[in-house]
Amino acid sequence: MKIKTHLLTAAAAAIAGTLFLSGCDKPATPAPTEAPAEAAATPEATATPEAPTPEAAAPAAAAPVTNDEPKELNLFCWSEYVPQTVIDAFTAKTGIKVNVQNYASNEEMLQKLLSGGGQYDLLQPSEYIVEAMIKEDMLMPLDQSLIPNLKNLAPEFRALDFDPNNKFSVPWMAGTVGIVINVEQVTDPITGFADVFQEKYKGKIVVLDDAREIVSWAMATNGIPMNDITDENIEKIRPTLQAWLPLVKVYDSDSPKTAMLNGDVALGIVWSGEGALLLDQEPDKFKWVLPKEGTHLFVDSLVVPKTAKHPKNAEMFINFILEPEISAMISADFPYLNPNVEGRKLLSPEQLANVASFPPSEVVAELQTFKDIGEQSSVVDDLITTIKVE
Amino acid sequence: MAASATATPAPSAAFERKPGLGAWVFMAPLLLWLLLFVVVPTGMLIMTSFVERDSLGRLVYNFTWENYIRAFDWKWLKILLVSIWYAFLTTVICMVVGYPVAYFIGRSPDRFRTLLITLVMIPFWTSFLIRTYAWIAILSRDGLLNSFLISASIIPAPIGMMYTPFAIVLGLVYTYLPFMILPIYTSVERMDGAMIEAAYDLGAGPVRAFSKVIIPLTRPGIVAGALLVFVPSVAMFAITTLMGGGSNPTIGEIIQKQFTSARNMPFGAALGTLLLVLFCVALWATRARGRDDAD
Repeated sequence: MKIKTHLLTAAAAAIAGTLFLSGCDKPATPAPTEAPAEAAATPEATATPEAPTPEAAAPAAAAPVTNDEPKELNLFCWSEYVPQTVIDAFTAKTGIKVNVQNYASNEEMLQKLLSGGGQYDLLQPSEYIVEAMIKEDMLMPLDQSLIPNLKNLAPEFRALDFDPNNKFSVPWMAGTVGIVINVEQVTDPITGFADVFQEKYKGKIVVLDDAREIVSWAMATNGIPMNDITDENIEKIRPTLQAWLPLVKVYDSDSPKTAMLNGDVALGIVWSGEGALLLDQEPDKFKWVLPKEGTHLFVDSLVVPKTAKHPKNAEMFINFILEPEISAMISADFPYLNPNVEGRKLLSPEQLANVASFPPSEVVAELQTFKDIGEQSSVVDDLITTIKVE
Repeated sequence: MAASATATPAPSAAFERKPGLGAWVFMAPLLLWLLLFVVVPTGMLIMTSFVERDSLGRLVYNFTWENYIRAFDWKWLKILLVSIWYAFLTTVICMVVGYPVAYFIGRSPDRFRTLLITLVMIPFWTSFLIRTYAWIAILSRDGLLNSFLISASIIPAPIGMMYTPFAIVLGLVYTYLPFMILPIYTSVERMDGAMIEAAYDLGAGPVRAFSKVIIPLTRPGIVAGALLVFVPSVAMFAITTLMGGGSNPTIGEIIQKQFTSARNMPFGAALGTLLLVLFCVALWATRARGRDDAD
């Protein structure tokens, strides 16, 4: 009995310890250094400018580089999205220490912000979250006089539906969702979602682990506008999803390229940045296609929450990343669709020719963005879970 | 959540011995720890499971049974049963593999024992997530194992091992095996060797000595090991997501999703509370059996 009690107490402590461990966030990407290393290994990356010295990065327009706030900035951003070189260059130029915290999903960021536990000056949400945050009056209007580099943004990124005049948000990177094909294993032409979800590709498909995304593809295939998430439309797409999901081998939003690279799957519906990295790495093996049924544009923006303690430092950071040289550095590490036209001019021809990073501009002009669907997100999640286990 | 279930024996055992003031002083840090990190969070979890939420996922403090009504649905039950099945397989495999190892270490000479038990612990020096990624590199279609088997002409074409229930259970067994070995080792180490000699002297063969003497003497270690492996295996989400690829979702993954993409904390909390109740019942059943055996 004595031994048992002793062991059970030890068990309790160990289980609690295990829960701590298993409670740790699941990683956003397999290895923290993977993406930069990949990018650095490509010839394109070597063609991009080195980390600029403070002088080299000096903006043409005279934005102030000091203010009366303490030299501190609390940045809460996606993991694997803000290069350390950019943060170091900002600190070198302004003397502001940047405390970086990462999140793996928009909702995780939202939870932490709403719980009030952390102190954040700058966030990096996606468009539908920006929309919800504006609606809920959670964001601070930006002082545009402190962000003269806004002029570097492409016109279409200064007139986005969710924040038409960049009153609250400044785009960081944008992208699409498309199909990546391993041409060594798939020889038939693939032009859209319907070509991917065929019985013969069963067990060879990776898709994003994102219910909203999967539902939007099924809606596009059925000719329904992707933001019209109503009970009626959900019933309409249910048969499509019931045919699709049993064919899927892997659901992964964090690093879908891993399953493609390891050869476990031959077809993927993934973020354009993941596709761009695959094309960079093995251009003969992988091919990128924008689905003919349609896709959407996602835009991740920098925003300042109302609770920010250092809003001016945050605006200074926003202006800093809009500088062409800095923007090009971000593109080198994370080859998404760069909204900064001046930054794009500094990219190599190879970088600009990557079809996953930069789709034709007439295509971009047509793309819609996701709208906030509020409580429906739970309905959409349930729908996918239900069909997965059927 | 599981911690509170297994933590209950500690205070009740303390009552039985009628501790003096000194004992309470020594216990204070542990009790405070249990209060802050077990009792309070469990209370918050249960409270959250009875409220509503708004469109951003913020809690709205109106009492509701809605989350529990939703939870009693065949689809969640199915996922739970599958998770329990994976955890059960994991526990059995860990026991079969871990018992001989623990016995061997416990019976080996003193000077080797520390070394051997350190070897069991060494994997803990690396994060389990990194070790799981290592398994992905080994098991994937173009991975180490397939390359080896093909080059050795054992198999003609690569086998798809990743993203299957096999990969999930392998990942769980690999991660939790030390949790089975350590408590059994403790039991074996404390076991009086004279008992085994006595069994042989009285005419028992190896099988009988093992089943009638060694197993009962090490039962506390076996029970503790089984709990230590089974409980976290049911709720684990990181390993099952990485190794299973999300097409065989486990209850841990579903709960994690409620707290993130579904923006539905109350429902996640309800599922978590139900899991907690399940563990309490299981623990109570094991304890009740243990008492019967003692009588």
